[in-house]
Amino acid sequence: MSARWKLAIAVLVLIFLGGGVAAYKARTLGVPFWRGEHVEDWLVEARVSFLATGKRVKARLSLPTQALGQKNNQESGSLGYHYNLEKESGEYTAIWASEHRDESQALYFRVRIPDGGGRGGESLSAEAPELGMVGLPGTLGEAAESIVNRAKSVSADPDSLFVALFDQIQSDVSSQEVVLVKRHYEKDYQSNATIRMGIDLLEMAGVPSRISYGVRLEEELGRQTPVPLVEYYDGAYWKVRDANDPGAVLDGRRMFVWHRGGGPLLEVTGGESSRAVFTVAKERIPLASLTDLRESPFFISTILGLPLSERAVFRYIVLIPLGAFVVVVMRNIVGIPTLGTFMPVLLALALLEIPPARGLTMFTFLTAAGLWFRFLLSRLNLLVVPRVAACVVIVTLLMMVMSVVSYRMGLPGGVQITLFPMIILAWTIERMSLIWEEEGKTSAITQVGGSLVVAVMAYLFMRIPQIRYWAFYFPELLLVLLAGILLIGRYTGYRLSEFIRFRSFGDA
Amino acid sequence: MPERAVIIDQAMSGTTQTIEAKWWHRWFKTPGELHRLGVAGINARNARYLLPNNPRRLYGLVDDKLQTKALAEREEISVPETYAVVRTPRDANKLVNSLKGRDAFVVKPTRGSGGKGVLVIDGRKGENFHKPSGVEWTGEDVRHHVSNILAGLFSLGGQRDSALVEYRVWPAAVLTKMSYQGAPDVRVVMLHGYPIMAMLRAATKESDGRANLHQGALGIGIDLATGRTIRAVHYGKPLTKHPDLGSHLIGVQIPEWDKILEIAVTCHEMTGLGYLGVDVMIDEKLGPLMIEVNARPGLAIQMANGVGLKRRLEPVEKQHILEPGAGIFEKIAYSKENFAAGG
Repeated sequence: MSARWKLAIAVLVLIFLGGGVAAYKARTLGVPFWRGEHVEDWLVEARVSFLATGKRVKARLSLPTQALGQKNNQESGSLGYHYNLEKESGEYTAIWASEHRDESQALYFRVRIPDGGGRGGESLSAEAPELGMVGLPGTLGEAAESIVNRAKSVSADPDSLFVALFDQIQSDVSSQEVVLVKRHYEKDYQSNATIRMGIDLLEMAGVPSRISYGVRLEEELGRQTPVPLVEYYDGAYWKVRDANDPGAVLDGRRMFVWHRGGGPLLEVTGGESSRAVFTVAKERIPLASLTDLRESPFFISTILGLPLSERAVFRYIVLIPLGAFVVVVMRNIVGIPTLGTFMPVLLALALLEIPPARGLTMFTFLTAAGLWFRFLLSRLNLLVVPRVAACVVIVTLLMMVMSVVSYRMGLPGGVQITLFPMIILAWTIERMSLIWEEEGKTSAITQVGGSLVVAVMAYLFMRIPQIRYWAFYFPELLLVLLAGILLIGRYTGYRLSEFIRFRSFGDA
Repeated sequence: MPERAVIIDQAMSGTTQTIEAKWWHRWFKTPGELHRLGVAGINARNARYLLPNNPRRLYGLVDDKLQTKALAEREEISVPETYAVVRTPRDANKLVNSLKGRDAFVVKPTRGSGGKGVLVIDGRKGENFHKPSGVEWTGEDVRHHVSNILAGLFSLGGQRDSALVEYRVWPAAVLTKMSYQGAPDVRVVMLHGYPIMAMLRAATKESDGRANLHQGALGIGIDLATGRTIRAVHYGKPLTKHPDLGSHLIGVQIPEWDKILEIAVTCHEMTGLGYLGVDVMIDEKLGPLMIEVNARPGLAIQMANGVGLKRRLEPVEKQHILEPGAGIFEKIAYSKENFAAGG
């Protein structure tokens, strides 16, 4: 069988397989093929992890009351655990129990909150609760008293008291008393110190208050720890506010309040180092078809069968083939030279994390600076490997300097450099300087320029919402993409750049 | 692939086919026009000629100049005499001493390509060496260059390399007139051992003594039948006089042309590569010397000749199927007859 037939068969098989599974999902399971704007629910997943000590294990996770009303919108994941939902005076708790567990354990609870539905931050009417007793010794007590009095003097009701109090606590120029009291709380509560201090001060001022936990509705955060919030009683209602933004009513589009009522978020017996982390994701397909999909065989459900926190990784991974496809098209059909084959894909992925204008400026600046230093080094007549290594060290230092300078100048974006672009940068400088020496500067600059152009194209392609939707919900379509790449692999026609290269061909 | 035979006949029928001049040729040529001219693109070269005819395992033979030279000597092809091979930093330290008595020599990386890292020394002035440009280098400069070669600065992928010190070719007088400083070389591209096209690559001031076309060297097409130059291009644009020297470039007879073709075809036989380019320099006294074999020859040669590569590759594919056992001289005769300029 000739290579041509083999290719044709492979391409057809891939297209049928990929297209077939996608069609089955779209027609039979009712997964919308086009990314509609109508469904935009949030999935919030709590992941409880702890180290079991070999005894009987019991984990209790407090759940968001509001979101649990609907049917089918919640599920828990845990292998070999007995799971039940407990309802006590309006509060829901998930309980997992098991005998004799060892080593690290992971339990999941996932809830789907509808678009525009309650986000748990609503005011709840309640009977007046009892005030807790705050006992601060001696001078601390006096200092706390004076903070409270100052706040009371500028406020009329519990709402304005809350604002006045937290403004004092969060202020850049804290008074002596605040510093003193804060230091006391930092000893006991570390990261939550300001929240705990605020709650106690509110209580001293006669406003009942307690801690509450929220989850930020931002997909980019990946795994996040719960955000401590403050819940206070204004005389008729319990209200939740973010201590970092005391003046604002909680924005339900950006924050989901997971836990209210002041009790513990998570309690684990029989385990150590327990913690709860949250992952959120936008879910664009209707609940009913999602349930069908998850119950399908694994090659159809694919990544949707995974827990949210594992799934989040794939948001970027499924984009890599798309970037690779763009590179293949740009190199073999358009004919743009690039530095290495897949460096543009990596750069495009980095651009997805950093805003592209800033990312490109940073990339250009750091590459130029790195190259300049490299040429300074070349005067020392160093051998290749030490020279490249020296270059990497210099780039690392440059990135640090750049971050610090931009932070001082009030541009926090400069600090966003993650490890990922760092590797790309060091690698680019190495490759570019080698090419600079081997093939001259024109070659090096064209290739880097070409890489930037291709990276931007790949970035723009990977950013198209419909494309991302297909890649994530219909990953089998990547097989169709693969078929396309195979076909381009046998493309023997001209590249677009060759129309220009050979323009004076045959001229007299 | 028998269905291709029909296309080959069409390509054969119009060897001198030209296209009408159009306003857009200043900017680009359409794919249809390029196809009619028989121009081969990179994709076609790779997928149709390189991949099927050059097995990867054979690349090692030509990427390492020591291996290529050893093979060539076995086949009794003339190559520049090897003075020394430097493999370790210790050898590098001893090199300058061991070169006593040699006034002129060339140092090159054994795995380099495209003239990277090639150092030409023309003679001595006291303790120092001088390059063709007149720049003087001390023994320490030479040693440092050699250790850069050893560290892999000029080799593919930066891997460790060794340095080759060999005879400095003194090009025949007709050729020095056509090249600014650097020694010009003749490249012959072959498919299945049939010479397809040939060109002379001459350095310019801009190319800094190097013979790379994309760095500004001249590509001068050679008529396969006679060995006379027929056309010259600089960055793809035709010209008739050397931009720096003012010498005539067209109609120059390359000395010992038949021997050059013979060397080239023998290189195909000894390496087994189906599609390859052979670089030959012509020494004033020693005649043609094989310098390098290239398993991925570029496309600029068709610009230098003003003929599309496919015009010649396609008939040769057919001829190779018809007469798989053709000998060296039969192949040369075929190419001379069918690929003569203007024929």
